[in-house]
Amino acid sequence: MSVLEFSASMVPGWFDKKITKENRIGFAILVVIVVVFIYFAITTPNYLSVFNIKTILRDAALVGIMGIGLTFVTLSGNFFLLSMKETAALCLIAFAMGMSNDYGFILSMLGAMSIAIVAGALQGMLIGLGGNPIIVTLGAAGILYGVACWWSDNLVISFQRPHDAEWLGTGMVLGIPAITISFVIFAIVAELVLRKTSFGRQVYLVGANRATGKATGHENFSMAIKTCIIASVCCAFVAIAFSAQMSSAQANYFSSEFGSSGDFTILVIATVMVAGNSIMGGYGSTLRTSLGAVFISATDNMMVLQGFSSGPRVLSVGLMIVLSILIFAYVRRGSRSEW
Amino acid sequence: MQMSNIRRSFGPIHALKGVDLEVNRGEVIGIVGENGAGKSTLVKIMSGFDDGFEGEFLVDNVPVNLGTPKKAQELGISIAQQELSLIPTLTVAENIFIGGDHGPTVASVGQLAKMARPFLDEVGLESISAKTLLSRLSIGERQLVEVARLIAHKPNLLILDEPTAALGESDSNRILEMVKRLKAAGKSVIYVSHRLDEIFKITDRCVILRDGSSEATVDTKELDTNKLVSLMLGRELHTMFPPRDFSKNNTKSKTIRFEVNRLWPDRTLVPINMKIYAGEILGLAGQLGSGSGEVLAAMAGMRDVQGGSITDCYTQENYLPKNAKQAISKGIAYGSPDRKYDGLFLGRSISENLSSPNLKGISNKGIIQPQKERPLVEDIAKSFTIDLTRLDQDASVLSGGNQQKVALGKWLSISPELILIDEPTRGVDVGARAEIYNKIREIADSGKAVVIASTDLLEISNLPDRVICFYKGCFVSELVGEEINSNTILKAITNPESLLLEDAS
Repeated sequence: MSVLEFSASMVPGWFDKKITKENRIGFAILVVIVVVFIYFAITTPNYLSVFNIKTILRDAALVGIMGIGLTFVTLSGNFFLLSMKETAALCLIAFAMGMSNDYGFILSMLGAMSIAIVAGALQGMLIGLGGNPIIVTLGAAGILYGVACWWSDNLVISFQRPHDAEWLGTGMVLGIPAITISFVIFAIVAELVLRKTSFGRQVYLVGANRATGKATGHENFSMAIKTCIIASVCCAFVAIAFSAQMSSAQANYFSSEFGSSGDFTILVIATVMVAGNSIMGGYGSTLRTSLGAVFISATDNMMVLQGFSSGPRVLSVGLMIVLSILIFAYVRRGSRSEW
Repeated sequence: MQMSNIRRSFGPIHALKGVDLEVNRGEVIGIVGENGAGKSTLVKIMSGFDDGFEGEFLVDNVPVNLGTPKKAQELGISIAQQELSLIPTLTVAENIFIGGDHGPTVASVGQLAKMARPFLDEVGLESISAKTLLSRLSIGERQLVEVARLIAHKPNLLILDEPTAALGESDSNRILEMVKRLKAAGKSVIYVSHRLDEIFKITDRCVILRDGSSEATVDTKELDTNKLVSLMLGRELHTMFPPRDFSKNNTKSKTIRFEVNRLWPDRTLVPINMKIYAGEILGLAGQLGSGSGEVLAAMAGMRDVQGGSITDCYTQENYLPKNAKQAISKGIAYGSPDRKYDGLFLGRSISENLSSPNLKGISNKGIIQPQKERPLVEDIAKSFTIDLTRLDQDASVLSGGNQQKVALGKWLSISPELILIDEPTRGVDVGARAEIYNKIREIADSGKAVVIASTDLLEISNLPDRVICFYKGCFVSELVGEEINSNTILKAITNPESLLLEDAS
């Protein structure tokens, strides 16, 4: 739960919510996390510098945008796509291929996006027909990554600077990286879509109860396709921005070599999980995911500055997923029960 | 067993404010009360699922704190819950001996079946082989297997929480027979039910719960329906069912609104033709699996069909909806028999539940218009007497009766022309029941066509203007006006051959 909701639930009658022992303990845990975090933020040298905060937000942006896309899938009750980083890898290769062959930014982008849409639609269709999301997307991951490696011969594809995608990769607006601004725009648009549009309402309803969704004319089939396309397009966007920044691409950019914290898909799932989106769907928001992305990035950055090697950092992400599941399961225990 | 002054609160909400209960050996106690009166909470406490209560709890005059269901079982208390805890992919015998130390460590399928036999006989499942897969049994039979499993634990006190809620007439009777047998064997039974006729048939004493307190404990012999209902509600309930006017019921004066042509849902034996008149409530009577519910589901596009169509007699359109979306666009609303499964979005707000079938109507170019949604939702809530101040709360906080009102009320959002309701009041208390019946009548009076299917004999014989009876997937007879009473319907839906014989003689 967000800080706001917790504080609200402390005020009797605010949300007319039951204030349970579980709520209080959840609030206490949140306070502890915040206090510990503030302590380390102050004591870690250079942590609160403007430069470092920019770095945190830029790192949060890549994983955050993919997380926002994945949140739609999770909220609609279709669990996770385990093919996030592989979708990104194929889009990365497609974009770089276009750029290195001088098709220009627009055409290369459209090419990468179309691949993402097709990949997302096919996976969504299989899931919508009743395929298990884990198995379907695990299989898709293999296929997408295989194609990416095959297509690129596992080589680094680079294209010459200056190119017409630099504004996205390394460009700045008022000193803020374009990718960070994109993250904010994605976060705002996604939140508005979920809250204000009938599509967003359908995502929540189908996620809350697929059978009732069907009975009221909201089929999961089209919902799975739409949400998987959204997630894949977010992957494509991140891939394009990343490739534009590096002016190159290789299929394994989003695998272990990328960044710091190991497997990118796990990182993306972590952003969805840590802020308490319901794994079963129907409850949560992209705002939570955005906060989760910033939190993970901020923690990781802190560990770098504290001199931790990649092992403990990967471990901390895994720990965050497990702990958040435990804590949220505990806090929400009984909140939906009847008496 | 004795309980006195049991209290239980969840945060600021007091679910039980002081309940007294006493069960003697060989006695059948009925627990009745409206939804939200605290029946489920009480049952959870008695069976050890909930230990956060205050008050005294004695078993055989010794104070105990059950704590866990296992401990309750050791003390001889077993419970059959509303949701069955059986595993469909195992055999009947395996289900009976699962999860306990009352079974053998190693046994062949044959041995296990032999050991299960006496328990099956005891609950009246003589004709079922213990080697059958559970998934092949009817829901009623499964309920009996559940009880057989409990009996295998050799309990002294058996708690049955709405065992007949999902059952048809004949399966219900088997449960009642079984309770009588258990009683004769000297066991105590606590029987929780909304079906008052059952309470009268089998219980010795009744504990009436109201707002979390035990309102009264009365010998069943001294009770009649009116007295029991007024004790439950705290007020007199004059009419459960809205009055019917059979005089205007001659079919000539009525306009045909819809015609169902050779509709053939899977699992029914023959195609069905029927006419649905504007302004009437048509009832489809039949036991579970008789095809009555299937007809409604097929009309709403919720079930596969072999063929058939519906004719809208106002527009002369002929169609058969393939899915709910198409049905909704034709103005067909379908209230499902199981609100938790596909009638409600638990976890989302009441308001979102009520507007869910008509998102198109409340949005403009894909954007939801709160100024359209709010009045729509408030209108429905008002007409179904749902608390307006709770509209933004999670639908799961509502009691069963109010949840049913939301599940049905949401269909008003599409202003339907044809309203199909399968089991309008399953698991709903008398107070909310009367409200729902009145509302259904009101909808019919406004000129809409209403069709209900029900296995509840009281309901199907008192609410509709016309009743069509089904037996084992076949149309049996149509009853109009004064012909509609529980006897004629019961005969038609359980033993239609007798009708034929009567006709012949």
